[in-house]
Amino acid sequence: MSTSSASTSKSAAERVELWDRALWAVRSHLRGSGLREVSTAVRAPEVALEPFIEPIAAPPGFLATSPELAMKRLLCRGSGSVFQVSHVFRQAEIGRLHAEEFHLLEWYRVGVAVEVIQADVEAVSGAVFEAVGRSPPCRWERRGFLDLVEELARVSLRGDEDGQELLALSAARGLDLGSIPATGDPEVRSLVAWSAFVSEWSDRYLDPHLIGRGGVHVVDFPPALAALSEIVGGRAARFESYLDGIELANGYRELRDPAIQRRRFEVVAGLRAAYGLRVLPIPEDFLADLVALGLPACAGVALGLDRLLMLASSAGSLDEISLTPSSAVRREGALR
Amino acid sequence: MDVSDLRKNVKLQIDGHPYVVTDFQFVKPGKGQGLYKCRIKNMITGAILDRTWRSGEKLEAANVESRKMQFLYSSGDTFTFMDNESYEQLEVPAEMIGDDRNFLLDNLACEVLFYNERAVGVSLPNQVVYEVTECEPGVKGDTATGVTKAATIATGYNVQVPIFIRVGDRIKVDTRTGEYLERVNQ
Repeated sequence: MSTSSASTSKSAAERVELWDRALWAVRSHLRGSGLREVSTAVRAPEVALEPFIEPIAAPPGFLATSPELAMKRLLCRGSGSVFQVSHVFRQAEIGRLHAEEFHLLEWYRVGVAVEVIQADVEAVSGAVFEAVGRSPPCRWERRGFLDLVEELARVSLRGDEDGQELLALSAARGLDLGSIPATGDPEVRSLVAWSAFVSEWSDRYLDPHLIGRGGVHVVDFPPALAALSEIVGGRAARFESYLDGIELANGYRELRDPAIQRRRFEVVAGLRAAYGLRVLPIPEDFLADLVALGLPACAGVALGLDRLLMLASSAGSLDEISLTPSSAVRREGALR
Repeated sequence: MDVSDLRKNVKLQIDGHPYVVTDFQFVKPGKGQGLYKCRIKNMITGAILDRTWRSGEKLEAANVESRKMQFLYSSGDTFTFMDNESYEQLEVPAEMIGDDRNFLLDNLACEVLFYNERAVGVSLPNQVVYEVTECEPGVKGDTATGVTKAATIATGYNVQVPIFIRVGDRIKVDTRTGEYLERVNQ
């Protein structure tokens, strides 16, 4: 249960040096590969509905949980390929690998396949490692989500199991998914079950397995976990990049169909209602842009920059590389 | 309360028992449910449990508070304490004190735990100094051999002590185990 780490604490000067080098490396790498830097509003009128990501209210909108919608609205307006180092906020995510405020490095390339973005993740990670004087992770591999489930949890899944079936299969394999709320909509049931499954499976099998394995892109997600990605040939064109067992980035071949996108948001809203989570508005401005302007074919990714710095500097927690001096009050969660 | 309120030292109620979170870890795979892995301690029995809650689950906060009180006296089956701030007196039944009665000295500063405004537990300081009231005569001897003898402390309880301890010595005792720790004369 202990989360203490053997790594030594970094001085403020070391942290400043670390961030300066990393930010410089990220910017020069992405600029040098044809992207332009943008900076969108931190207070956003609307956020992408996600099953378990809770925005912090900042009336009349929210603090951005990611710059995704804002950047896609720029892409709809012809920005071309862009990147951003953004401050994002997610309520009550506090831990060794979580903070309520962190930096997402997010980028989109127009007209490319997701594999190009995966190569970007490898290159950006490598650039940051090198910038702080470390040799970059030498090995990256690509593993199918369902293949990993079969290999590690010994559950053979097709990927299109409905909620009931997935719960039964999980229970038979001793995977406790906790209390699952009842819902009427079969797509909501499916998302509920797959979301619970992915948490339990990652915690118990995936994360421990990936420790010490360098870089891994988990690809080809089951359709229920497509989030904002396109579904191609029965698999979501979504990937998650892990480095030494730590989840670093989440990328998509971006979904462009406004009707499907609306339905995805509604299914998430259904899940949130089933769990009694806060009702969030459907992002109508974003959907209107998809209809009126259209999103160019593109692929993109969001990468946790703080986690990348933590890994590149062999720190044991986000706190150890933070430029915000730690506060006992904040750690104990008294200040919310 | 919501699981997202879980933190170290948060107090919650499970099946009518108050627990305090003693260790807390938040795990969340991308876009999955958050897992709140907690180690919790039953505030009455001290029993420790590991429990994991998930995003969206609801919890019941426990209405518990700890007040500093000093032990005044016992009579029959009740023990009387006094609140250090309000000077209010509180009687608790002997069962709640249990074996701790062996270590209760007059005026000893204790923590009394209240759950839903009702006293549910008394905790003593982990280490308390007592005067030895009876024991065999002190012998100068080899302290390294670990030879011990029985000594009675001011509460009437018998503690195993090294053979050099004499009547009137003040000794520090661990109230959780009843073990002699050291002599603290002056």
